[in-house]
Amino acid sequence: MKNTFSKALIALGLLMASALVSQASSHREAPLIASDPQADNTDLYAFKSPNDSNKIIIIANYIPMELPHGGPNWYTFGQNIRYEIHIKNDAATSGDDITYRFTFNITNEDSSTFFNIRLGKQNQKNTYKLERRIGATNSFVTIVSNGIVPPPNIGPRSIEGAAGLHVANYDTLMRRAIMTSVSGERVFAGPIDDPFFVDLGGAFDLGGFRQPGKDGLAKNNCHTLALEIPIATLQKSGKKVSQASSFLDPNFVIGVWASASRPAVTTFNDTGDAPSVSGPWIQISRLGMPLTNEVIIPIGKKDLWNSIPSGSPADAQFLKYFNNPELGLYVDSSINGYGKAVPGLNNYLRIQSASRPTTGLGPFDFRNTKSGLYPLKGNPALAGTAFDPTTFGGLLLPNASSPRSVDIMPIFMTGVPNLAPYQLAVMKSGGNPLAAGKPFINNFLPVLGDMLRLNMATPVTPRTLPSGAPNPQFSNLGILAAAVQGLTNPMYNSSTNMQFIPNMDGFPNGRRLEDDVTTISLQAIGGVALAAIGLWYDDYNPATSTSPLTPQLLSTIGFSAGIDHNDTTFKTEFPFVQQPWRAYNGDEYTAPTAITSLNLSAPAVVMVAYPNPFTNQLTFKYKMPASGKVQIDIMDISGRLVNSINEGKVEAGEHLSQWNGSNLAPGNYFARFSVNGQVFQALKLVKTN
Amino acid sequence: MNKTQTLLKRWGITALALGFTVLGHSAFASSHREAPLIAQDPQADNTDVYAFRSPDDTNTITLIANYIPFQLPEGGPNYYTFGSDVRYEIHVKNNSATAGDDITYRFTFSVNNEDTTTFFNIRLGKRNQRVTYRLQRIINGGTAVTIVANGQVPPPNIGPRSINGAAGLNFSGNYDSLINNSIATATTGEKVYAGPADDPFFADLAGIFDLGGFRPAGNSANPTKDGLSRFNVSTICIKVPIKTLQQSGQDVTHATSILDPKYVIGVWASASRRLIRTFNGDGTVTLGGTVGFGGGAQPAWVQVSRLGMPLTNEAIIPIGGKDKWNALNPTDGSNNAYFNNFNNPELALYMDASQYGSAVPALNALRIQKASRPDIGPFDFRNGHKGLYNLKGSSLVSGTALDDANYGNLLLPDSMSPRAVDLFPIFNTGVPNTPPYQLATGKGNVPSTTKMNPLSQGKPFINNFLPALGDMLRLNMAVPVTPRNSPDFSSEGLIKAAVLGLTDPRFNTDKSLQFIPNMDGFPNGRRLEDDVTTIELQAVGGVVLAAIGLWFDDYNGTGDPVTPALLRNLGFTAGPTKNDTTFKASFPYVATPWRGFDYSPQARF
Repeated sequence: MKNTFSKALIALGLLMASALVSQASSHREAPLIASDPQADNTDLYAFKSPNDSNKIIIIANYIPMELPHGGPNWYTFGQNIRYEIHIKNDAATSGDDITYRFTFNITNEDSSTFFNIRLGKQNQKNTYKLERRIGATNSFVTIVSNGIVPPPNIGPRSIEGAAGLHVANYDTLMRRAIMTSVSGERVFAGPIDDPFFVDLGGAFDLGGFRQPGKDGLAKNNCHTLALEIPIATLQKSGKKVSQASSFLDPNFVIGVWASASRPAVTTFNDTGDAPSVSGPWIQISRLGMPLTNEVIIPIGKKDLWNSIPSGSPADAQFLKYFNNPELGLYVDSSINGYGKAVPGLNNYLRIQSASRPTTGLGPFDFRNTKSGLYPLKGNPALAGTAFDPTTFGGLLLPNASSPRSVDIMPIFMTGVPNLAPYQLAVMKSGGNPLAAGKPFINNFLPVLGDMLRLNMATPVTPRTLPSGAPNPQFSNLGILAAAVQGLTNPMYNSSTNMQFIPNMDGFPNGRRLEDDVTTISLQAIGGVALAAIGLWYDDYNPATSTSPLTPQLLSTIGFSAGIDHNDTTFKTEFPFVQQPWRAYNGDEYTAPTAITSLNLSAPAVVMVAYPNPFTNQLTFKYKMPASGKVQIDIMDISGRLVNSINEGKVEAGEHLSQWNGSNLAPGNYFARFSVNGQVFQALKLVKTN
Repeated sequence: MNKTQTLLKRWGITALALGFTVLGHSAFASSHREAPLIAQDPQADNTDVYAFRSPDDTNTITLIANYIPFQLPEGGPNYYTFGSDVRYEIHVKNNSATAGDDITYRFTFSVNNEDTTTFFNIRLGKRNQRVTYRLQRIINGGTAVTIVANGQVPPPNIGPRSINGAAGLNFSGNYDSLINNSIATATTGEKVYAGPADDPFFADLAGIFDLGGFRPAGNSANPTKDGLSRFNVSTICIKVPIKTLQQSGQDVTHATSILDPKYVIGVWASASRRLIRTFNGDGTVTLGGTVGFGGGAQPAWVQVSRLGMPLTNEAIIPIGGKDKWNALNPTDGSNNAYFNNFNNPELALYMDASQYGSAVPALNALRIQKASRPDIGPFDFRNGHKGLYNLKGSSLVSGTALDDANYGNLLLPDSMSPRAVDLFPIFNTGVPNTPPYQLATGKGNVPSTTKMNPLSQGKPFINNFLPALGDMLRLNMAVPVTPRNSPDFSSEGLIKAAVLGLTDPRFNTDKSLQFIPNMDGFPNGRRLEDDVTTIELQAVGGVVLAAIGLWFDDYNGTGDPVTPALLRNLGFTAGPTKNDTTFKASFPYVATPWRGFDYSPQARF
């Protein structure tokens, strides 16, 4: 058995190392919010800081598909929008346990220009106030009062140029915008590279997943709210991570979701002034788990979904879409299913229709509307498991037509407890999935609602080794990678002891920037979480099969949604998201002022300067097609003449002219080249110390 | 043959060289996300307006208004749709004696889901977010009459599985057939298409808006990028018989000439929203607000976007005025508050070495006349300078458009509005076929001198004058079409016509009224191909002044007025000079929307 697993491990390793497949998490995911990009929540991340195990990073992104070159009015956080990050840490309380609320201002520093940045002034400049509320009934307290948002990353003229902001580089602006709140959080709000990746074109052409996919979000920016928060602030009784009873301590689970709200009433103004707003704040966008409103909630309910606070009683009305997910139809090849019509999924993913974990148990059918594990209802073996009717059995086994109430529903709506059957199928007694196995997750927070749930006690899987090389154990498949290791790696599969397996800190236990949530979610739809706890695929026959690692399990694990990583790297420190794509790249174009005259033409008259940048001595070299009077004027960036070199009349041919600029202040200058009083060329010069 | 004509004939030689310079040319996003408020409301954001005589049906005019910028072809699951709560309108003015619109086309859209159980847009023959429309027409502010009752909008061009696949629409034709099937004929004769299209606009957004870091087409320092390439847009196209648009119902055969002033129309488009929008808290929205009282109460609409001339609100109106600009009507006098932005445009600061010129090296080729015509001036057209104001009331302006008895009070308002004679009328009144607005070709001399008089009669080249003061796209419908396959066809529009009229021996031997190719191009209307960004920047750089004889500074009164400075201006391009795909030869002319599944990528920045 062990041997078989080792071989399988190699196969798996190969599969997982190969490029994997991909959906936009929540970009333009519902009809109403698709028309309100400023309030459109795109993604939410929550993970333990790789640099500081006492801190959690929460990142909420907004404003999808920002073009790096989307001027002249680049994207900003909106005024009259409440951007909020909600945290639950205690299932016994009602409402948010902690709320972070951002409100933004926009000002124009120079309303006389159509440019966004000019001469040190910035238009559509965002600033913000961050408030925090502890406990749903307390007041909000301002913890950052004048937060800075970096400008858009327009290009070298606007950011570094003397006529622009004249700063060293964009990263300087990002660093300056990292705020420390009075209560100890670090905060960054501003434009970034959109960390999400997905093959939009393939996924939404009726599930046309392909290999390789095409990242529909490549080189798009978005706006982020990033927080670095001490675990002691987030833990319900103020405990530090060192006080956790284990790395699956249930008291360290948080549920996170983000939202955007607008005032109920907008009255447009026929004078062109901003609309006036009034009335109570209405939630119009929300996001907890990725992809919920993208592919779980159908079109008819998407707008409603956005209006419901996660964890409120109204969230229960959506349970049916998790218990019988539409995507389940496309991984079902039975005659009544749609699976055959979606080869991009069905060729890899087949939900269990006759899972037989062990002789005498099953078969269990997890296809939509089938009975799933419901036949076990009333079985005394459920006592003490998560299915115990005295605890969560009513929720997890509600009826005979909700097959995914045991996996998809809890992953999204309650978290998964460290209780049988939710332990890995390692040394489960008699091959019974209901028996105790190896712990691998506990992010159970039984407040029914769509949240990103993270157990903060789970250690971090390092992104890199001490040498700086990438950590080969780190996987963008998150918990699925941990499950595969737990099942197949001899380091873990020889006991049911609780051991830290790499990537136990990955999605759906929180969500790291790197996690390929589309692939993970689709594999889960394909039944992989069921298999991990011992509800093997249909091609496993307990009487004859030597290993549960059947071709169908390998096929599921080999599935990829087409794009498995972001189109750029992440930062190694807060805010971890990458700086926004710059709109203008490459050299500046200087128009040759010397084109086409009757006797002289651009190729004929040309001047170069070297070295450039220069410190003291500079040489101009120019070529004359005919004799003429040459003058070279040196001007500063504002056009002021700082020096003039009169060459007098020169003959046709190449000429050199030396000039000493040591007395000039460092900065940008122009050398203007004139023949017979006619300007032919301007060269940019850079003076350095 | 007078001296000017001799000169002009000689330019024929220069024109050969010019041909190369002027042929291919470049581009701002016309009005994509151009003002702070509307940038946050893409569904109501007007991106471009076009008006041109239909090349394959010359008794008709095609009007195109585009909305919803930067649509990713793969932008699912909720692909882009016209808004069901937005009123989209195309306004036509054909008579400056009337108040308000003479003709209004009003589109109202509905959005329906045929299968609310799926997150896919198309599945098993059912379409979600399916758009249909009603088109109404209003003549002279009268009653809105429905002329298309149940217009069909094609689905998004998602991919082969959704459009052709058995699990999708199972449509056997290509996507273009869906477009053709959606073309409606109005009860009043117009052809109508509303739906997705390739965005026909092209511009190097990244370059332009990095403080004017233009990258001309073909430059070797840094290749230009079309920031709108591979994006779709939602278009409204109407092909209208000329006699429907002409002020007294005349067909084009009744025009007295190709510049007949009675054939000028002014076109603008808008989007309006209901006055009050209320979020109900359950994912639904209620719209409200009325005007009038009691039984006469009507729903109140507020204009949130408008567009006539391209780039006005992008690069003429500064940030502080952009939102207000969008709320105004161009025909009610409210645009007057913005005239100074045309008379002293911000862009001119970047083409003036005494201002910010040296800080924008990519515009080195454009330098506004500061001492034009030293022989009779000199005239200084830099911002804040006098322009032609010194001539006010003089015998030279007598009888011209600049005469106070005509439009002198508008065109020469004061001593600090230098561009009131060129940029202002191009955007706000149209340009009459009256001196000085004729080509320098054939212009006579200042009395008792040998110096060419720019205020004398020259060769006609434009008449799109419609003196209802405000920003509209003005088109003289009597001007013939330049065939798209003609070697003379140019994306430089009227600037190309001016160059031909000044330098081409076919057109520069006398001042008779001739059709010069591209007289049907921007700013006389706007064709899909026209490189309006380059044309407008050249115009801000003074090229129109030069065309009528107010030459650049390096012309000293004798010799060839086609000076290096003029050639530099004509050789300027703002970036890409054409769209990233070809246009259709017949209605609706705009190209097929890019297909989300497998369109070929192209760098946008």
